Amino acid sequence: MTRFVENSITFPYKRSLGPVIGRFMNALTERRILGIRSGDRVIVPPLEWDPHTGAELPVDGMVEVGPNGTVESWTWVPDPSEQHPLDHPFAFALIRLDGASTPLLHAVDAASPHMISAGTRVAPRWRGNRVGRIDDIVAFVIGEAAEVEGTEATPERGADEPITMMDYNASITYRNPVPLVLDRLREASREERILGQRCPVCARVYAGGRGYCPIDAVELGEEHDVDLPHSGTITNFTIVTPVQYPGQTETEPFARVFVLLDGTDVVLPYQPVIELPVAEIKVGKRVAAAWAPPEDEFDEGGTMGGAYGHLIGWMPSGEPDIDDPDLVNRIF
Amino acid sequence: MATTGTRGPSTDIAVVGWAQSPMIRRTELSETQLLLRVITDALEPLGLTRADIDFTCLGSCDYITGQAFSFVSNLDAIGAWPPKRDSHVEMDGAWALYEAWLRLQEGDIEIAVVTGSGRSSTGDPALIYPMEMDPFYLAPLGVDPLTFAALQARVLIGAGIADERSMAEVAARSRRDALTNPNAQVAGEFDVDELLAGEYVREPLRRHDLPPITDGAAAMVLATGDRARQLRDRPAYITGFDHRTEGHNPAYRDLTDSPSTRIAAAAADLGAGPVEVAELQAAFTHEELLLRHALGLGDDVVVNRSGGALASNPIMATGLARIGYAADHIFGGGHRALAHSTSGPCLQQNLICILEDESTGANS
Amino acid sequence: MSGHSEPCAIVGVGQTHHKSRRHDVSYGGLVREAVFRALDDAQMTMADIDAVVIGKAPDLFEGVMKPELYLSDALGAVGKPMFRVHTAGSVGGTTAIVAASHVQARKHQRVLAVAFEKQSEGNAQFALGSGRGASLGAGGAFAPFIRAYIQRSGAPEHIGWKVAVKDRQNALKNPYAHLKIPDISIEKVKESPMMWEPLRYLESCPSSDGACAVVLTDEAGGNAAAADGRTPAWILGASSRSEPPSFPGRDPVRPAACVQAAWDVYKMAGITNPREQIDVAELYVPFSWHEAIWLEGHDIAAPGDGWKMIDADETALTGSFPVNPSGGVLSSNPIGASGLLRFAEAANQVRGAAGEHQVTDANVALAMAYGANSQYFSTWVVANSLNPFS
Repeated sequence: MTRFVENSITFPYKRSLGPVIGRFMNALTERRILGIRSGDRVIVPPLEWDPHTGAELPVDGMVEVGPNGTVESWTWVPDPSEQHPLDHPFAFALIRLDGASTPLLHAVDAASPHMISAGTRVAPRWRGNRVGRIDDIVAFVIGEAAEVEGTEATPERGADEPITMMDYNASITYRNPVPLVLDRLREASREERILGQRCPVCARVYAGGRGYCPIDAVELGEEHDVDLPHSGTITNFTIVTPVQYPGQTETEPFARVFVLLDGTDVVLPYQPVIELPVAEIKVGKRVAAAWAPPEDEFDEGGTMGGAYGHLIGWMPSGEPDIDDPDLVNRIF
Repeated sequence: MATTGTRGPSTDIAVVGWAQSPMIRRTELSETQLLLRVITDALEPLGLTRADIDFTCLGSCDYITGQAFSFVSNLDAIGAWPPKRDSHVEMDGAWALYEAWLRLQEGDIEIAVVTGSGRSSTGDPALIYPMEMDPFYLAPLGVDPLTFAALQARVLIGAGIADERSMAEVAARSRRDALTNPNAQVAGEFDVDELLAGEYVREPLRRHDLPPITDGAAAMVLATGDRARQLRDRPAYITGFDHRTEGHNPAYRDLTDSPSTRIAAAAADLGAGPVEVAELQAAFTHEELLLRHALGLGDDVVVNRSGGALASNPIMATGLARIGYAADHIFGGGHRALAHSTSGPCLQQNLICILEDESTGANS
Repeated sequence: MSGHSEPCAIVGVGQTHHKSRRHDVSYGGLVREAVFRALDDAQMTMADIDAVVIGKAPDLFEGVMKPELYLSDALGAVGKPMFRVHTAGSVGGTTAIVAASHVQARKHQRVLAVAFEKQSEGNAQFALGSGRGASLGAGGAFAPFIRAYIQRSGAPEHIGWKVAVKDRQNALKNPYAHLKIPDISIEKVKESPMMWEPLRYLESCPSSDGACAVVLTDEAGGNAAAADGRTPAWILGASSRSEPPSFPGRDPVRPAACVQAAWDVYKMAGITNPREQIDVAELYVPFSWHEAIWLEGHDIAAPGDGWKMIDADETALTGSFPVNPSGGVLSSNPIGASGLLRFAEAANQVRGAAGEHQVTDANVALAMAYGANSQYFSTWVVANSLNPFS
């Protein structure tokens, strides 16, 4: 039975607005909506370029429109997503703001789909605390009376400190199948075994549970599993001085080593080390597999993608170093 | 040629085979595994191996996979050792085919394999696809593909190009045709009146107007000139191939039309003769009606005999599969077929590929 | 080029000023800055362009999925073909090659190739790890390759420092370069923090916002530019090759895909002695030691000898075989654009349009880019005539 794992990725982005979108966003904080002239048309929301020709549009052609407008087309959203501006059923609508030549796509907070149709007049419901984002307008409401949601709390800003940036955060959860071979490798690791797979065509052995030979492009199944030795030699390594980024878990310099398993052609890449100080890592160092206690949980997303479960890294075996000038070339 | 700056192909290039994975709601295979199998399935009937491939171009999407550089491991599926002439497009496999078609015209190589692959089951399309929208005005509102489709459907209904009944008829016909397609995920006999009694998912769209969520991959083999004729009877010659885009934000566009489809069709010389079949990447029922309208397809043209994207919709491979089904028509005795692919909200970008049983190339 | 394909010429090149954070422009504005410079250089407008090919590294870097959709109108592509390439770090080079293919196949006459990255909108290290911890970063992935090169070739450690200094000195002559370190010196490099042993901070590329654009035309377009006194850069050969991520015995120090792509191009171009027949090279060198590695990968130096050219200052701007006169990736690294910048700078060299970092008598230039785990390679050779060796 194939197992599925969930992995949520939250992406934090900071966008620079540039001259035209910047003005538009600043105007939103002042409860004003701007468009931009292109010939005798007024493009809303405004772009730096004409949407048909790509021609640069002059910033001084930005003009105020709306804030009220007329629904041109709409659809009803009975089941809003977490990214939608409202958490109850609403309409997405193409709204032609007064004075605009193009419609603005935004939400309309109507009680039911029967309340909205082409021609319905709407007005903005402003967020009380506006930060310079398109959702400073929470939604449009039916009628001609603009609203403010909550209390007006937008900080005053001087003309010399305009908003130039915008935050955008999206979180997506992915649910991926775990290849069967990976689960076999993990299960074997509970018994302190390291499994590889031998290609029946070229006889190359692959570690890491990919389930196929990239040279012959054939899939490898359970019948191709082979046991790999638990000792090897460090062929190469990388020592990383961590930089901070969202999700980074490391704070001190850490090492990853490449281990050529004894009597095989198999290199395990980017392996963690145990009881081996960074300063003592060198090419030719002899190492042995280090195992987690059986009661420990598997590391689901570790360096090897959880491929080796209870194999948590490599520690010095105490044997003398090997002096072979070709070792360093064994990265793969 | 209708469009300035466009010229005809200089070399005979034909689709000589293709294969697709099972089209299912959720695969247990990795994308690489899907491709391993489907490439082998495309090559073997032709007596080819991966060593015969001169050029590969893969089409896939990081955001569907949820992993930056997700396509890199797919190199394991093409047999890139010794290293292959290779490329990757973050587009449907139909565009990978376009790149291979261009590359083969340079005349120094003979065989190309292209793929499209995607596992849409891994994430929620309603949360992923807003990220392909305008990052300032649309993505922050979470505007999803269903919303855009519904807005365009309403506009088309207003313009008299579609109505809810004709849309339901497209759904019923597609799912009925899909009964004879073993790769269809959704197939069956449906009564149009019963369909119309269903609830709206996004007014005016009902469940039947929507495509399924599909995991799948497709691989296609191209060959030039004499090599194509050696590899199979009735190669499907690509006699016209073009794609065009429109402005991004649907709010700025005339949604009653698909001008990029019309321009691409003219540049691909669709009008040079009649087509017997058309495979259109219409993920929503009203899109088929608009595309038929824009392409000027008469009732004599059999549209989406495969069941189309309404039967199975392996995003990043849906377009390539359309070209595959059109090629099947030529392989099976047909003379001229049209295939279409699309990308972006409200059919922003459209691709037209004309396949024929005889080459019209300059050097045939 | 190959077979009976149409000759293809580069008649316009443009790039942005590259910086850590181009907060002064929007996502679209950044790309347009490069596009208008390229169009001006080609004496064209958006309306003259038949097709657009766009490349960039992962969409996760900026959180804009399939950016060819959002940017279609920004690039004047409405009603035209708009094509998106993504081949990891080599993507900029592949973008140029795919754009050229549009011309060589006689499909279009005037094609715009665009590549960009706005790294400041997100976090590349984060995106490389797809939001998980313990990301090694590109330096962590490549440091072992460099250790292998050093041990294999017996090169002294100052070679890496020399490249780091040379490229930053070249960057001082390039108005668009990101890193400007007027007092760059061997001492400064060797005293900079160790990031990924043996790579020091100043031996590593920066993270940049930036874009590059190139206008390609058919033979008639190239001849018209030449007749107007604007020398075009003719493509003599181009190739993209890839190899699998890992298998026992794969050699990332002399990757077969790199060597094979070089051989493809040399064959197309009629190059039998690259060291003599090529006048200047723009090689994708994100970490100092890659200059030696790629000199060897392209048979400009014999295996194990690349570092000797560096040691003898032959790859300096005034040397016998200048490498990265623009300052290279070590000075500007808008990832998706970095490859196209190499291809564009090579074109500018043979066009005589490289300004202060122009190499004297540059008739034939090589450009290359690579990506992923040293797996994706794209290469081209351009010259100021179609028959530079006759």
